[in-house]
Amino acid sequence: MAPITQASDDSNHQALLDKLDIYAVRKPWRTPHWKPPQRRNKNVKQIIAEASRKEASVMATQNNSGTSTPLPAYSSMATGGLATPVNGADGNLSIAQAAQNLSTLVLEKNLRSSGASGGPAVTYTNIESAPSLHPSSQKRYCDITGLSAPYTDPKSRLRYHDKEVFAAIRTLGQAATEGYLAARGAHTVLK
Amino acid sequence: MVHSTADESSLPSGRNSPKPQPARIWSLSEPPFEGVRPVDSQGYRQSTPDTAIVIDNGSSAVRAGWSFDQNPRVSLPPLMARYRDRKLNRTFMFCGSDIYADGTARGQAKNAYEPGSNIVNNWDVIEGVLDYVFIKLGIDGSAGRIDRPVVMTEPVANLGYARKTMSEILFELYGAPSVAYGIDSLFSYSYNGGRNGLVISSSYMSTHVIPVAERKPMLSHATRLNWGRFQSAEYLQRLLRLKYPSFPGKISDTQAEDLVREHCYISQDYESEINKYLDWTGLEDRDHVIQCPFTEQVVVQKSEEELARAAEKRKEGGRRLQEQAAKMRLEKLIRKEQELEYYKSLQEGLVDLPKKEVKRRLDADDFDDEGQLDRRIKDMEKSIRKARNKDVGDAVEEEIETPTFPLLDVPDEQLDEEGLRQKRGQRLMKSNYDARARAKAEKEREKARVAEEERLDNERRETDLSGWVEERRIARQAIIQKIKDRERLKADLGNRKSLANQSRMKAIANLASDDKTKKRRRGGDDDNFGADDADWGVYRTIATGEQSDEEEEEDLSANLKNIEAQLLKHDPNFTEQSTREAQTDWTKSLMHAFLHGPWPFDPESQRDLHQVHLNVERIRVPEVVFQPSIAGIDQAGIVEIAAGILTERLADSPHRSEILKDIFLTGGNTLFRGFEDRLRSELRAVLPADSPLGIRRANHPGLDAWKGAAWWSSQPASRDAFITRADFEEKGHDYIKEHDLGNSYT
Repeated sequence: MAPITQASDDSNHQALLDKLDIYAVRKPWRTPHWKPPQRRNKNVKQIIAEASRKEASVMATQNNSGTSTPLPAYSSMATGGLATPVNGADGNLSIAQAAQNLSTLVLEKNLRSSGASGGPAVTYTNIESAPSLHPSSQKRYCDITGLSAPYTDPKSRLRYHDKEVFAAIRTLGQAATEGYLAARGAHTVLK
Repeated sequence: MVHSTADESSLPSGRNSPKPQPARIWSLSEPPFEGVRPVDSQGYRQSTPDTAIVIDNGSSAVRAGWSFDQNPRVSLPPLMARYRDRKLNRTFMFCGSDIYADGTARGQAKNAYEPGSNIVNNWDVIEGVLDYVFIKLGIDGSAGRIDRPVVMTEPVANLGYARKTMSEILFELYGAPSVAYGIDSLFSYSYNGGRNGLVISSSYMSTHVIPVAERKPMLSHATRLNWGRFQSAEYLQRLLRLKYPSFPGKISDTQAEDLVREHCYISQDYESEINKYLDWTGLEDRDHVIQCPFTEQVVVQKSEEELARAAEKRKEGGRRLQEQAAKMRLEKLIRKEQELEYYKSLQEGLVDLPKKEVKRRLDADDFDDEGQLDRRIKDMEKSIRKARNKDVGDAVEEEIETPTFPLLDVPDEQLDEEGLRQKRGQRLMKSNYDARARAKAEKEREKARVAEEERLDNERRETDLSGWVEERRIARQAIIQKIKDRERLKADLGNRKSLANQSRMKAIANLASDDKTKKRRRGGDDDNFGADDADWGVYRTIATGEQSDEEEEEDLSANLKNIEAQLLKHDPNFTEQSTREAQTDWTKSLMHAFLHGPWPFDPESQRDLHQVHLNVERIRVPEVVFQPSIAGIDQAGIVEIAAGILTERLADSPHRSEILKDIFLTGGNTLFRGFEDRLRSELRAVLPADSPLGIRRANHPGLDAWKGAAWWSSQPASRDAFITRADFEEKGHDYIKEHDLGNSYT
């Protein structure tokens, strides 16, 4: 294709491209046989969905270990971890009891680690600014001109400044109306 | 901005005085191709295996250099184009602004970031960009790896997946010995010597607010607003597309960004400024004209001689046509007059006849009764009078002396062949002449009638001025109403569901249907359609478009002009300003000011068609950071976020007053003129009256993140924050070590 800048004309364009091209440049620092994982390009939505799915499954296992299993008397959770319970059956724990013990230990560790960080973890989704509660977010501006808009056209739902803008609105087609609404995020989204 | 208040003085007509040509016309920027960047291996030679490569992985630009550098050595937008040229049978790969050198490359270019978010979405592009960075930094790589630690910035609360993938690339693909991550805005803040403060970082894809106390970020209070310069540029593009739907040129993304950077500014008082933005006074300063490239339509210039000849030819043709038309009109007139003559004689002949005879005679001429004959005569008289007036209008009185027609009185028998022909000719001429004479007389009479009318009108005006004026005003209003109605009807007919269109459809259906439900009691099939002339109006109502309306419209506007002229002359309260023309003048039109500024617009001119006028957009676009609802973002604005953090979340923090003294602005999107002042006045309004408030801006809002990262990595203290390859393999691919300028590990 023809050059699109003044930097080169047709005669030296190919030479310029050769100079700019980094495909042919040797890149010795790259691990030669490394293959990127399949489908590694994910959008934010996918990443967040996967992360929350994973989190949910982890939560489920923790719940299992924590609540559905009654805590045995010798757990440090039950006794506050201070007093060692007197238990004569120490030597002959069944396998089931041992497994219970282990899951309780995991739970305890998790509780400790989350307690130490103080409050909920900071994630990409929960640092997003919340919807505005300030009255200024209720201000209305003309969709066409951006001036203040005391009126709304009931037919197209466009906000407008004065009768001249209204006259212009009434000549708009459906597509343009939707376009203006979309600029304000008030358009109809068909799913 | 200098505006003269002198041009406020409006013309007596009430129209705004025209403005001089725009003082400056902007053009769109060229593609930002920066030329071939040489490999700079000096830094690599200077570095030791402990020197970190510092990469500010920003969404507007990736900046890279060595930790001992003052400024980044490489800066490129995170873009890559990789494609196979089939003709040359080879693959090309271009990165950064190099893609702007070639059309195909630009078409194939992909951005590393997901549009509108600060998260990397395309890792192939990141690989390409990193390759480019390592090439340009002259890394030797003979060991099969880059062999230098890497310091990289990442967004606040980066997603685990994004960090994991980045670490995989750095460790597994490039073989980095160790890697550290940090938050760009915190690097910038620490580089500017911040200790306690509120970091407001408005950058390319997003805006963050992070409180910092004793050099530690309070990440649990960090807040993100999904708006940055990228979104601003996108919003501007969208607004311009809507503003000029048939714009022939194209404004690319980078050009839109440059427009935002160059023309937009933060209004100090948005509400009142925007409402005055399109006022006539000073509009020439507020309205920025952007001229897109265009080709003037070539008008073939003809020589003087050719023009004259063409004009002559046209005139000649016109004359001939006029003559023909006049002749034809005259003939028609004569025919009509003869017919009228006949009917009149018929009418006279009927006077004394018995009824039966009258009926017979009328029937012979297809009349039902005498009334019809009467009407016909009247109609014809009217149309003849009209025709005559028209005719005499352009027929100049040429024949002054009365021609003689001697042969007409001679009986036919006395004439030979030649004489007969002459007689016929003379007869025609005589009737011609008579018709003209009659027309002239008729015109005289008409003139007299008009004069009489005018005299009466004048008399009436003199005796009762207010009544007369009232009458005229009512008449004027009626015409204006009519014009408006017509316009509305025209607009309504375009809409399939409008009342006007539905009634039209009904009329068509009625006309088409052979509805026999109404039994005609008397008489045969005749439905009397057409007996009343108004019946034919139905065809007018069902006809769409402008077939018949044009003449009437002209009539209406001529009438209106006439009445307005009279009013202007006699009504002291009716001034130039009140005329419809002055009221609908473009200099008073808000929409015109919005679309074309204070200058006239010529829809034929390619130059005008390729112009973009930025006016309200100049403050409307950057305002979104303060009022996200303008662009439909359902989030709180930057001031509300900052105020929420300062007054609520930090209400009982011991560092609160320290933080208030240091509101720190960084990021490219804070570079708008007036950003700092606006933020100060708005924060001042929501904070307690006596609280101290200090706002400052980073020295280089764009570069300080990189500089801060470089400075940080050159400190020995930062060594603890690096994760090694062993950590990466042992503790998970998304593992990081927490430090004061980075994210927390979840």
